Amino acid sequence: MTTATDSEGGTLAVEIWRGKDAGQFETYTVPQRANQTVLDVVTWIQRHAEPALAYRFACRVGVCGSCAMTVNGKPRWTCRTHVSKVAGEGALRIEPLRNLPRLKDLAVDMTPFFEKWQRAQGRFTPTRTRNDPLTTVSPQSAGRKAADAGIECINCAVCYSACDVVGWDDGYLGPAALNRAWTLVNDERDGDRAGVLKAASSGGGCHSCHTHGSCVEHCPVGINPTAGIAGLKRWSIVELLGGKLP
Amino acid sequence: MEEFDTDILILGAGGAGLFAALHALQADPDLDVTVAVKGLLGKCGCTRMVQGGYNVALDPRDSLERHFMDTIVGGKWLPRQDLAWRLIEGAVERVRELENELGCFFDRNPDGSLHQKAFAGQSFDRTVHKGDLTGIEIINRLMEQVWARGIRKLEEHRAVALIPAADGSGLAGALLIDMRTGGYRMVRAKATLLATGGGPTMYLYHTPSGDKSCDGMAMAMRLGLPVRDMEMVQFHPTGLLAGLDTRMTGTVLEEGLRGAGGYLLNGDGRRFMADYDRAGERATRDVVSRSIYAEMRAGRTTPMGGAWIEMKHLGPESVAKRFPGMVKRCADCGFDLAGGRVEVVPTAHYMMGGVEFEIDTTTAIPGLFAAGEDCGGVHGANRLGGNGVANSTVFGGIAGDSMARFVARNAPLRDPDRAAIDAAVARAETPFALAQGDLGDLRDRLWHLMWDEVGILRTADGLKRGLAGLADLRAELHRTGLADGDRAFNLTWHDWLNLESQITVSEVIATAALAREDSRGAHFREDFPETGDLDTTAFTRITLDATERPQLSMVPVDFTIVKPGESLIDDEAGAPPASAAG
Repeated sequence: MTTATDSEGGTLAVEIWRGKDAGQFETYTVPQRANQTVLDVVTWIQRHAEPALAYRFACRVGVCGSCAMTVNGKPRWTCRTHVSKVAGEGALRIEPLRNLPRLKDLAVDMTPFFEKWQRAQGRFTPTRTRNDPLTTVSPQSAGRKAADAGIECINCAVCYSACDVVGWDDGYLGPAALNRAWTLVNDERDGDRAGVLKAASSGGGCHSCHTHGSCVEHCPVGINPTAGIAGLKRWSIVELLGGKLP
Repeated sequence: MEEFDTDILILGAGGAGLFAALHALQADPDLDVTVAVKGLLGKCGCTRMVQGGYNVALDPRDSLERHFMDTIVGGKWLPRQDLAWRLIEGAVERVRELENELGCFFDRNPDGSLHQKAFAGQSFDRTVHKGDLTGIEIINRLMEQVWARGIRKLEEHRAVALIPAADGSGLAGALLIDMRTGGYRMVRAKATLLATGGGPTMYLYHTPSGDKSCDGMAMAMRLGLPVRDMEMVQFHPTGLLAGLDTRMTGTVLEEGLRGAGGYLLNGDGRRFMADYDRAGERATRDVVSRSIYAEMRAGRTTPMGGAWIEMKHLGPESVAKRFPGMVKRCADCGFDLAGGRVEVVPTAHYMMGGVEFEIDTTTAIPGLFAAGEDCGGVHGANRLGGNGVANSTVFGGIAGDSMARFVARNAPLRDPDRAAIDAAVARAETPFALAQGDLGDLRDRLWHLMWDEVGILRTADGLKRGLAGLADLRAELHRTGLADGDRAFNLTWHDWLNLESQITVSEVIATAALAREDSRGAHFREDFPETGDLDTTAFTRITLDATERPQLSMVPVDFTIVKPGESLIDDEAGAPPASAAG
């Protein structure tokens, strides 16, 4: 009743980082398929060539943000990256994400990414409780539209890995954390928007951004963190000059 | 072996596990709470994957009674009614908590009030949602709050056994494998929550997250706990079909595509749903899944063995605008959903069955609590779309409250049964002592066996073949090993452990399916196509014996709130917008 899509007969030459900080690339020959993502290539290698190969994935459909890796030099979500899009000459080089501590092979430790999310006060501060009705919020309000534009982040750390500033300044909070802060300062329901703005504009915050735009270029879900960071910069200066948040 | 103690150990970090952690700390901020999860905190699990939304009776024109009746009728009178009622009542509080305390923002109407959409099988438009990616919003906001608190995070830690107390007084804790090092870790806890999720990943086509392998149910059964309703496996009709070599295959293309007027075509390019149901493509999940499967079995298939979904008659631009997420997902995979045809196949989605538990999430074993898809009894024979995330979050929060109360009553740290720890380690070590074999091929055969014999259309003969095949696969797994060496982040070792859980639970599914000689909800017997008398409805209860063979009994459903033929509402439950559960 079921038939596999057969290979088009071709093969891919795939280089994979093996090891932790010290290590080397190993090359594998992987059958090419019509329907094949980079995650499928890595899976094929684990199943057929390198049983102890370390990599991380969960949802398979671009929802969980667990499977990002560096593919031919660029950070990508591997579950939604079709091989044909990236393997120009039938060759792939797959490495762990940049800017995060390496665990083994293709897996990194995402702890610093989430710690910085917290340092940017990337969490809601309530003013109501479960016993209260929901807040009436116009979906057309400027604040809500700004928040909506950044809210579907899947915290995959692709932007964090793409960001040059993170690369040279370990203290920089990075695009995802600041994007979350931007959604909160625009959320009229949040009880500590001034605190978020302060956290996001202090040392390592929005003013460290050099507006290279790598985050925008690489975000797999189309978020523009640079725009939000520019907003944080603007607001933090307004507040510094004694103005009030909109 | 490393050992440490904690007040509360939570296994799993989806909607149930994260809510339990938060509620426990709200009850007592001084509690020492540990969350152990097979992937990353908040990034694996299935609550995050929720597309549709969250059912809740918030509108003044809606009512708890109405939501309850939809759930009971959708569940074909099989749910445990007090659990279903608690779900519906709890959903109201939990949605307010998600918005007001955690900061979730659900879609609004133009006037700023909450938007609630229609979902199949419900007599009121009550599904709260955030676009078609509701789960991301819920879990992101939950994980931020959990990260902000002093919770011990054991990420990439897999539970391999629930360890009883040496004196038999209750549960001592759980044995884990730290997947990053490959080492064992025994965690003793005053209270332990099983919230690992279900996930019918033993079927050829399946939707859940890749970390899912029914470990929680397998561990609970090995401890002696009963499971119920295990024959009830929900299939979603439209999983993406892209061949067996890609992990894309089986992932869900959302229900709304059919609702919007999408066509399903067989391999001959002909619309076929009208042959099976008056509602055509808009029929409920179970009906559409069976119909597609029947076309496939008759050989009228697409090149890869499924059916086509086609949207272009609605205008490619309009489709791209209405379903941007689905169109982009298909495009990333190389398919044109808006203007072409995409191959689809029914795909195993959710397990209604699971561990028997009480309203306060206690189980038969003191110190062990359970919540979420690990549990059975809430949904009965079919789960309404939108009741799954309600289940994990409502009962997860209750578990946090209950465990905090339990610990406050001077719950002891129990001495673990050392023999049980040794046995669990020996079980996990099994593959290293065996000759290397082809686990991938074994998994493929499990997938096909479950799909063909224990799947969408069932017969006694097929189920018996399924059980015989599963016994062979179990024996073969115990002859199939892998090379020892680097155990750190060794996914192939975990593949082996996954297969053991999957085969154990598969045998239970097949046993329950063979015993249920009627058809209702997700369970369809071609040799017993009628639902039969509702008044004598009974559920399947299974325990494992000492040799891990399933022992089954049929237990009459106690209609504690409403009996078949009665209703708490004046008009018909479950309709409109559709005629039955989806």
